[in-house]
Amino acid sequence: MVKVALVGAGGMASIHARGYAALPNADLKGIMDIRPDVARNLANPLGAKGYSNFEEMLSEIEPDVVDVSVPTPFHIDYVLAALKSSAKAVIVEKPMARTVADCRRMIDAATDAGKPLFVAHVLRFFPEYAEARRQVLNGAVGNPATVRMRRGGQFPMGWENWYGKTEWSGGVPLDLIIHDFDWLRWTFGDVTRVFAKALSSKSTDEYVSRDYALVTLRFESGVVAHVEGTWADPGGFKVAFEIAGDDGLLEYNFNQPASPTLLAALVTDPDQRVGVPVPDSPVAVNPYQAELEHFLHCLETGEKPIVSPEDGLAAVAIAEAANESAKTGKPVQLSGGAR
Amino acid sequence: MRVGIMSMAHMHGRSYAAALKSLPGVEFTGIADHDAERASSTAEHYGVKAFASYDELLADKPDAVIICSENINHRPLTEKSATAGVHVMCEKPLATTIEDGLAMIAACKTAGVQLMTAFPCRFSPATVRLRTGILDGRLGKILAIRATNRGKCPYGWFVKKGLSGGGAVIDHTVHATDLMRWLLGTEVVEVYAEIDNKLLHQDFEDTGFLTMEFSDGVFATLDTSWSRPTGFPTWGDVTLSVVGDKGVVSLDMFSQNLVHYSNKTGAVTWEPWGSNVDELMVAAFVDAIRTGKPVPVTGEDGLRAAAVALAAYESAEKCMAVAPASF
Repeated sequence: MVKVALVGAGGMASIHARGYAALPNADLKGIMDIRPDVARNLANPLGAKGYSNFEEMLSEIEPDVVDVSVPTPFHIDYVLAALKSSAKAVIVEKPMARTVADCRRMIDAATDAGKPLFVAHVLRFFPEYAEARRQVLNGAVGNPATVRMRRGGQFPMGWENWYGKTEWSGGVPLDLIIHDFDWLRWTFGDVTRVFAKALSSKSTDEYVSRDYALVTLRFESGVVAHVEGTWADPGGFKVAFEIAGDDGLLEYNFNQPASPTLLAALVTDPDQRVGVPVPDSPVAVNPYQAELEHFLHCLETGEKPIVSPEDGLAAVAIAEAANESAKTGKPVQLSGGAR
Repeated sequence: MRVGIMSMAHMHGRSYAAALKSLPGVEFTGIADHDAERASSTAEHYGVKAFASYDELLADKPDAVIICSENINHRPLTEKSATAGVHVMCEKPLATTIEDGLAMIAACKTAGVQLMTAFPCRFSPATVRLRTGILDGRLGKILAIRATNRGKCPYGWFVKKGLSGGGAVIDHTVHATDLMRWLLGTEVVEVYAEIDNKLLHQDFEDTGFLTMEFSDGVFATLDTSWSRPTGFPTWGDVTLSVVGDKGVVSLDMFSQNLVHYSNKTGAVTWEPWGSNVDELMVAAFVDAIRTGKPVPVTGEDGLRAAAVALAAYESAEKCMAVAPASF
């Protein structure tokens, strides 16, 4: 049984909390948030204890794993403190940190402590993305050449509107399409050059709440990728991708949208008989749960995780390069995944 | 848990074999087949023993068998297994006559072994969620259902009536009919069917448009046709559109795909990424046998669905709505 202490009780922390609750070898003991009532409300129904003080939670629980799922700029302090504690491993939500420099400090601290640091790039556990990578590596499109990816929907609501503050969230490139950056690196290797446009680069926080970014990536392998990320689409969250190579094209949701697996339109106003169609695409294993299960398995067996801390840093480096390019109007060179 | 497979005549056997190989705590004992060449080639592929006969497979004392023979051989293989005290999961349709189906159910009951019908659609996360939503009452009272289970013609023994019991209607009526029975909790009381062979122009039916009424007044249609051309990007579909008095829900069970356009083959295909429903079903069968719980889909479920297909043939012949056999 792995004792888990969770830092954060917001959106992603709630998903992680339910993931642990469903895992037979995880014992979620405590959830800490600076908002004591929010921590308690998430913790109590799951049989865990709510805390508002990090040190108190760690000394009471003595967890095997500390999971840090708080807003991005606060990752660094909790991860460093957790690595210094008696915990055996640390899980950190994506993006790994607000800056590449902070990622490097985390990696150095984890190396010094001799402890695994797991970066929660959950897209690798989504079956459609895992299958697409498998197909590409099996030669389904021959040598891949062009890739287009899309992700986004409405602007997310968070504590203190932290997504809307560029200094905290890093806008769409760091917070949202870092998912795609990581999947692209996992599938096509390292990125050498980044060119980007983003509304959030234009001014202050005015645009961040409807940030929209278009990022072009050049890979060492020669692959060219385009990633569109949006918080400006009120039409609901949607992802899509296509991968074209010299022997074919692999496509998801772009050119040939499949029917939703489930589409429910239920009456919300009985007098008017109106309702909003809600699509759903259920799978047997929740990707977030599969991700946490993988990390705990790696901790118990000593196996290497499919996401390394260096992968976490490299994804932040791409996002950082995209934000820099959007600001300067110039392409940014990367080497070996990082500058 | 030790499980063997009797016959690989039905292609689903390969998927069940892969599931047996991957499930923890399951020993896949081997394959027997009246086609000895098929037994040895498939057994070699999965790294298991090829038995020289069904009797030898049973003499090895498995806890359970999965039967994937031609439809007409379901009965003798089930009876043989039941006599040996071995639990059975049988490929659909359970039987090609009511008499055969009742004999299979009785044989298993007498021997004290369980009989499950292989209806993997019940194990799809999407159908489970659809049913949960319905049972939660969010859809209100169910009024009508529009269903399809279309496909490509599988040819081989599937189109030889002496082995399969018919064509597209016996092959594709049972999945969606079972899903509707399972969603509604009621039985089909009336079946009307239009059947023809104008797609492939052969001596078996390739077209089946069924209309059904359930005991609570819900009506439904089901398209069982082998109407997907050879160039269709996947094997076929299972769809349901459920109309309730508080809304509608549609299900497209196999829409979780990547679209693959290939220069090598010049074809467009759909590569699935959704959950493996065959594996979920085999896991549920194994779990029920291991723990002694009732199997989640019974022989009676299989025969009720098969009875609807048999009623469709009768309806088409008589040009009138008929009641499925009661038992």
